[in-house]
Amino acid sequence: MLEIKNLHVKIAGDEKVILKGINLVVPKGEVHAIMGPNGSGKSTLAYVLAGRADYEVTEGEVLWNGESLLGMQPDERAAKGVFLAFQYPMEIPGVAGLTFLRTAANSVRKKRGQAEYTTPEFMKVVRARAASLSIDIEMLKRPVNVGFSGGEKKRSEILQMAMLEPTLCVLDETDSGLDIDALRIVSDGVNALRSKDRAMLVITHYQRLLDYIVPDKVHVLAHGVIQKTGDKDLAKELEISGYAAFEGKAA
Amino acid sequence: MPPSKGKLPEMSVAVMKTKAELALAEQFANLRGTLPGAPEVAAVREDAIATFAELGLPHRRIEEWKYTDLRAALKEPPPPAVGETVGVPAAGIAAALGPFGDIAASRIVFVNGQYRPEISIFDGRKGVSVSALSQNFLKLVAAGDDAVSALNTAFVTDGAEIEIKPGTKLAKPLFVVAVAAGSTPRLSTLRHTMTVGAGVEATIVELYVTLPGADAGGQVNTLTEIHVGKGAQVTHVKAAVDDGRATHLSNWIVRLGAECDYKGFQMTSGLALARNSITATFTGEGAKLDLSGAFLGRGSDHIDTTLVVDHAVPRCESRELFTGVLDGRARGIFQGKVIVRPKAQKTDGKQMAKVMMLSPDAEFDSKPELEIYADDVVCGHGSTAAEIDADLLFYCMARGIPVEQARALLVESFIGEAIDKVGHEGVREALGKTARDWLAAVAI
Repeated sequence: MLEIKNLHVKIAGDEKVILKGINLVVPKGEVHAIMGPNGSGKSTLAYVLAGRADYEVTEGEVLWNGESLLGMQPDERAAKGVFLAFQYPMEIPGVAGLTFLRTAANSVRKKRGQAEYTTPEFMKVVRARAASLSIDIEMLKRPVNVGFSGGEKKRSEILQMAMLEPTLCVLDETDSGLDIDALRIVSDGVNALRSKDRAMLVITHYQRLLDYIVPDKVHVLAHGVIQKTGDKDLAKELEISGYAAFEGKAA
Repeated sequence: MPPSKGKLPEMSVAVMKTKAELALAEQFANLRGTLPGAPEVAAVREDAIATFAELGLPHRRIEEWKYTDLRAALKEPPPPAVGETVGVPAAGIAAALGPFGDIAASRIVFVNGQYRPEISIFDGRKGVSVSALSQNFLKLVAAGDDAVSALNTAFVTDGAEIEIKPGTKLAKPLFVVAVAAGSTPRLSTLRHTMTVGAGVEATIVELYVTLPGADAGGQVNTLTEIHVGKGAQVTHVKAAVDDGRATHLSNWIVRLGAECDYKGFQMTSGLALARNSITATFTGEGAKLDLSGAFLGRGSDHIDTTLVVDHAVPRCESRELFTGVLDGRARGIFQGKVIVRPKAQKTDGKQMAKVMMLSPDAEFDSKPELEIYADDVVCGHGSTAAEIDADLLFYCMARGIPVEQARALLVESFIGEAIDKVGHEGVREALGKTARDWLAAVAI
């Protein structure tokens, strides 16, 4: 279970406060969506969960399965099961996709006390998971994300997610830059990972993604706080009314 | 300061010879009778040592040597190993070759500047002739106009003579290996001449290494001239890989025929002092040059890459990408001059030098120069020096990779961008392994 309690976050070395008291609980087995206008702090929340250094938590706590995440390095969090699918996946020239996947998968396996993949095991697993995301294995021989289209980068993120077998998946605007076919492939990939042992936090600006990844709960984030919580129909209401109702409603 | 009203001193004052300059002159005088070659060769050597006596070692007031003052840096030049033969077992050669040893290749091996047929391998492929300069040393031509080239001409003892007949497609790479061996530091002076015929497809690798256990404080002065024929496709790698004490002075002279596709790569790893001078001249239209390299420096290593790309004819393309990683107090230098002559219309030239700084005390000096005399050209250059990218580091760590491993991976990927340009898979992998070995020894 993910528990976020009264989380206050500002940009490190700056006075600007972005999150102003987030309270959120995501039990295992559930998918929660965070929706909100641009600049509401959605991506900040995602980065803080993954442990990016540019932010400073001034108040509150984040517990994952009862353990505080905030003091942990990003790699320790990944070993604990946290995975952030980036809005803008990074390109790593000079590192082949397969090398990167294997290094990452074996790093978390080692820390989780699981046996590291041998080359044949790894290839077998990666082939199957890549195929289900319509990713050509040849593409993974190329440097990570270099020269990939927007859709290819997002599929590559979901493949990384599948390979790392996380228990807390945070998806930051995974739908941005995707056409309808790519959206379907990515959503199918995410849905395949839904399970009773896994919690998911799906961050999106648009309701569209939630037609494919149907959430158990929807939270509206604006001005750094959760303004409203509801079921999947809340997303549909927002599609019609927009975020205007939350504009100017600062905490 | 305003000029003095008094008489200015003459600029041509006799400069005091340094200890190294005197030692070089003395070494030559002692070896005069024993250096190999026909009488005609001896005469060329005499001219060269006279040129060197005039020029002296290059110093910082000579523009091309601004950042690499050999007069200050070269203290005690090791003596040439003329007339001594150091035993090198086959296993020693395999160890010296390191990751390059696994590549199936023909190879001509020189130990301390002398051809060693018993550890060379030729599979007698048709269309290729490989021999050692010392086997038939009738002629020597002065090359280059600087003091290092003059020293090369004066002291050269051996080198590879390679001729690849037109249309030959080499299945295996051709290795030219220079090994430093023995318990005392030595000077090895090599001159390689390569003639690649029209339509040839070949991979040539020059490797400069020290035998494990041997004294690694020696010096190499090597000069390679390669003529690339029309439409030939050539990958040419020069790798100097050592453990941090050796000096490497290199001149690499390339003449590119029409429509050829020439990919050159220079790896410099673990050299205390390296000066890699590269001169590439387009002699025929429609040719492509892709020059790249990686230089890895730590401690107080000093690695200088100085190149001149001369677009003398129209419609040629040149690309240069040099990447460096500098740790400790290491110093990297990149001087890249691109000349586009008046007739060289439709020239397309791009140059990039990128350095990753692992230490605040490391230094990178970059001096790009474009001299463009034609009007219908596309030319550009860039240069960056940066630390490890914090966003990329976070991305790797968010994927579970521990910080040290993530940093190593990113440094490797940074160098990898240049290494990836090497077309031959085995050679590319060996270069990658060389970089990883270097990185493993640096506490990133």
